[in-house]
Amino acid sequence: MLPPSVPDTVAQLQRFPLEVRDAYRHFRSTGDIDALHIVVLAVVRDYMPRPCEAALTDGMRLIEDLGYDSLAVAETVFFLEDLLQVRIENKELIQLRTVGDLRSFVACKVEQKRPVVA
Amino acid sequence: MQGGAETTCGCVNAVVFPFPRVVVTGLGLITPIGNDGATVAANLRAGRHGLAPVVLMGNPDLPVKVAGTVKEFSVDSTNWRDWAWPPEYGIPRETLRGLAPHGVYALCAVQQALRDAGLSPEAIAGDDETGLFCASAGSAMLLHSNLAQMHAVRGERGNPMGVVSSIAGTLNFNLAAHFHITGAVCGFVSACASASHALGFAFDAIRLGRLRRVIVVGAEELNAETLLPFLAMRALSGASDPLLASRPFDAGRDGFVGGGGAAVLIIEEAGFAAARGARARAELLGWGQAADGYSVAMSHPEGAGLRLAMRRALEQSGVGPEDVDYVNAHGTSTPVGDRAEALALRAVFTAAGARPRISSTKGLTGHPLSMSGAMEAAFCVLALKEGFMPGNPHLVTPDPACEGLDLPRASVPIAPRVVLNNSSGFGGSNVCHVLRAVPD
Repeated sequence: MLPPSVPDTVAQLQRFPLEVRDAYRHFRSTGDIDALHIVVLAVVRDYMPRPCEAALTDGMRLIEDLGYDSLAVAETVFFLEDLLQVRIENKELIQLRTVGDLRSFVACKVEQKRPVVA
Repeated sequence: MQGGAETTCGCVNAVVFPFPRVVVTGLGLITPIGNDGATVAANLRAGRHGLAPVVLMGNPDLPVKVAGTVKEFSVDSTNWRDWAWPPEYGIPRETLRGLAPHGVYALCAVQQALRDAGLSPEAIAGDDETGLFCASAGSAMLLHSNLAQMHAVRGERGNPMGVVSSIAGTLNFNLAAHFHITGAVCGFVSACASASHALGFAFDAIRLGRLRRVIVVGAEELNAETLLPFLAMRALSGASDPLLASRPFDAGRDGFVGGGGAAVLIIEEAGFAAARGARARAELLGWGQAADGYSVAMSHPEGAGLRLAMRRALEQSGVGPEDVDYVNAHGTSTPVGDRAEALALRAVFTAAGARPRISSTKGLTGHPLSMSGAMEAAFCVLALKEGFMPGNPHLVTPDPACEGLDLPRASVPIAPRVVLNNSSGFGGSNVCHVLRAVPD
């Protein structure tokens, strides 16, 4: 596994709300995937180029609905890689089209399962 | 007579046409002496400096004690999420994430200039007549941070926004995308003459009929990564007293003081501006450039390139040395550079029997490097518009090389009609603009 590309990724979670930081701690101590989903959704919201208050749903498309571009997708994935100590390849990256894709993909990565994406 | 309406070449088929006039219709200023035109003009008139104590790299032992700081902004972090700017400016996240610290200054200055020019962002978006010419050296701070991250993972990945936020084209990339510029976009890199080059070539683009409006931007960030390399060159003042640190043309000067910010001029073809009811602040008559052919960093000892650049600027503008009322000198407060400029000024003006008022406003602002040419051209516009000539308030004992030059300490409450703006950069590039007042 690569070393993190920033000195202390976990420290960067300080900018997230308390419930997200609590969810991250809970996931790290228990492996609870529901807690992981809270973290992933918060990261998606944090990197959205055009912030919106609407709740994120699995069917939302990253590019068409949330204003993501390829650079924002890369930013999001790199942050998750550092935070969760997983590795996401470019060929996997380009298959991630929706919030649900990303959420389940990260969960699979963390569980060391074969990712299932659309 | 400027323009090409007449020809003496006798060529029957020569195509001649009158050159369009070029006017300045808007200014945007984020500077050490103020973040709007009115404040900057008041401080220029009063001789109030914008230098403040600084500690770079957390090292109080460094012989860099003061700098021309930018107020009301906080862009010291390498993370854009930490940045702050005055609330009257809007920067969406999708733009912010690709900016450098000086890009924040620049974007705010463009918004300010558009307002000053009576233009909405919608008016320039997708307008093929509007171009964007920028001057930036990039962000050494972000470049270092991004490359350090890349080294930490042995090149496996990096900041996806690293290139567009830190290399020398960062202003043109980001501002063109944000404002939806379609006429033309480009960048200029000639060190401390960069923004002057941008303004000069913007003038040419309008003169040649390629564009009818150009937004000219110069910006520079003030941080250790930008400034301390000049300490390694022994080019910075070690003085801690702001009244003594930046004192261009003084016999006791010991180097320049850094500065940061952004300056924007919106220039337009005069008829194009008039048709939309825009108010011209000044007319840009012409410009000239020449090179020293001498040293990578040092000025020619007699200012040969600057002398030729001034003469070319005056010639293109159709004015003589005796017509110039005020010169905004490059004058960075370095021993070699100021002497060279003084000798060049004497060759152009004193030798012709002319004695314009001369000042370097870097005594008040410090030296904001790539941005300085646009900032000082904007100061010239303010001087023409507000009817005064800035002084040299920190000048105590003029260098003997300045003999015969008129270097007023206080600003002069007389309206100049024609002004000259000088800039010089590494590699011996020298650029001068000539501007004149227009009636209200």
